[in-house]
Amino acid sequence: MSDDGEDAGPGPLTESLEDLYENAPCGYLSLKPDGRIFKVNLTFSKWIGFTPDELVAKRLHDLLNIAGRIFYEMHFGPLLRMQGFFNEVALDLVTREGSRLPVLVNAAEKRDAEGRHLFTRLTVFNATDRRRYQRELVEARAVAEAAQKELEALNAKVQSELLAEKAVLLDERATAALREEFIAVLGHDLRNPLAAINAGMRLLLGTPLNDKAKIIVEMVQDSTARMAGLIDNVMDFARGRLGGGLSVERNVAEPIEPVLRQVVSELQVALPGRVIETHFALSEPVHCDRRRIGQLASNLLGNALTHGAADKPVRIGATTADGRFELFVTNAGEPIPPVVLQRIFEPFSRGTLRPSLQGLGLGLYISHEIAKAHGGTLEVVSTEAETRFTFRTPL
Amino acid sequence: MVFAHGFGCDQNMWRFVAPAFETEFKTVLFDHVGAGGSDLSAYDPAKYASLSGYADDLLEIGAELGLKDAVFVGHSVSAMIGLLASLQAPELFESLVLVGPSPRYIDDGDYLGGFSEAQIDELLDFLSDNYLGWSAAMAPAIIGNPERPELGAELTNSFCRTDPEIAKAFARVTFKSDNRADLAKVAKRALILQCSEDIIAPTQVGEYVYRNLPGSDLVLMRATGHCPDLSAPEETIAAIRAFV
Repeated sequence: MSDDGEDAGPGPLTESLEDLYENAPCGYLSLKPDGRIFKVNLTFSKWIGFTPDELVAKRLHDLLNIAGRIFYEMHFGPLLRMQGFFNEVALDLVTREGSRLPVLVNAAEKRDAEGRHLFTRLTVFNATDRRRYQRELVEARAVAEAAQKELEALNAKVQSELLAEKAVLLDERATAALREEFIAVLGHDLRNPLAAINAGMRLLLGTPLNDKAKIIVEMVQDSTARMAGLIDNVMDFARGRLGGGLSVERNVAEPIEPVLRQVVSELQVALPGRVIETHFALSEPVHCDRRRIGQLASNLLGNALTHGAADKPVRIGATTADGRFELFVTNAGEPIPPVVLQRIFEPFSRGTLRPSLQGLGLGLYISHEIAKAHGGTLEVVSTEAETRFTFRTPL
Repeated sequence: MVFAHGFGCDQNMWRFVAPAFETEFKTVLFDHVGAGGSDLSAYDPAKYASLSGYADDLLEIGAELGLKDAVFVGHSVSAMIGLLASLQAPELFESLVLVGPSPRYIDDGDYLGGFSEAQIDELLDFLSDNYLGWSAAMAPAIIGNPERPELGAELTNSFCRTDPEIAKAFARVTFKSDNRADLAKVAKRALILQCSEDIIAPTQVGEYVYRNLPGSDLVLMRATGHCPDLSAPEETIAAIRAFV
């Protein structure tokens, strides 16, 4: 009751303890020590759908789902006995209709002066929204943990890939060392005995020989020369393919034409029956590695002589015009089949025709590498009329 | 006399019972790894994936303290843990007191354990809902300080704390265990304390243990629920005393 009547509004405010108990915005339950309900308020009765009379003598267990029963029995019940209370316990009540009512429950034991347990009071709060939020939190946590695990797995994968890459790099270094050794073996261990054979043959030629022996010695000399050429090719392949490409030493001071003429004459001597036409028009100095360009010309010309029609001339020409150097070699004869043409600059890509005439299949590959190393191109066009290889590079 | 607590609790659950035996016996109380004041870092998911991991701990305690012919008092799942330990080391326990034992909680054909598989799964979800209450970081642990008057009102649910993840794993191991085949192998005097209206270990489960455990006595208690040591300590003490 309020005493200051003037400000009291429409009527005096009253609060009855009885009404507070029955209609409080929370549920009240009182349990006997054996868990049976002996007093309950109207709020709880409304929430659960049973009348207070129906609720009395029910056990709290009867209002819980199975999981809640187990857990109440094994954890919250003992907890209540030991500490005399529990707070904020999440339980699911099962209503008369069978639906779930998520609640939070506080409980306290009422004891007598000697500490004996008389009964237990429970305060029940509707916690539908809170439970939903809590479940979302638990789920979010599970998602976060899953993401964390995924991240860790990803990290481990990246780590192992890095290690693998490192191993590959180390392996590449080992390969590079092996390549240098391989080139050294080719350069010395294979060439030296070949030089010894060649020297031996020259000595033999200086001694009286019958005709047959003379022919054999010349054949051996041809073979050693061819073999020296093959070793050169394999060395270049090792440098180019296994390493970082062929190296070139450019030089503009020396003219290129004498080198080309030297190549022509060498091959002409080797094949005196063949016609080699030359068309040189070199008016400007060419910025190139002369030894490499000589090698390229020798490969192309040798190729043309080997594969071209024997009764038709092979032509070689070189020009400087419009700021670039161009070298071409043509031969007549059967055109190169398209399948062969596709892979003609790849190593070991020997054509299907007349394999006996060919070397290791490295000549055109090396020529192509030389062109690339000069910043130029090597192209081939093969028709019924002629097969033409053209090398172009900026001056 | 070795007291072993069950799932959901810690050694404090024996506080009304164990002191009654202190004059006649050396009493040994402990927390299972993951519960109460145990060292959570000692939890090894692989070791504790079955009850035998917990039984091994019991053997370690026995070896450390040089126990021989002790009385084992195990509540709930610890009844089975003690039983497994006594099979491994028969000299450790002279007799077994099994409070609310269950060799299997889930129904299986004619066997009625009291629960279905789905209900046990529901329990595991329920544990997540009470995550906050479990959280070990919520309030300072006061285990080992069991004097009730000192418990301040600000301390919430301080007993029976456990790591939520370990609680879930222990629940799974407990409720999915099946030790029915082990009962017949035990050759020890045993006392089964069976409560009335125990929904965790119903009376028919206690009777099953009694029938299948050679040399066992069954005492049906007036106490209701699953924890007679807390709800009816005097009756519990009297039954154990009569047995030992």
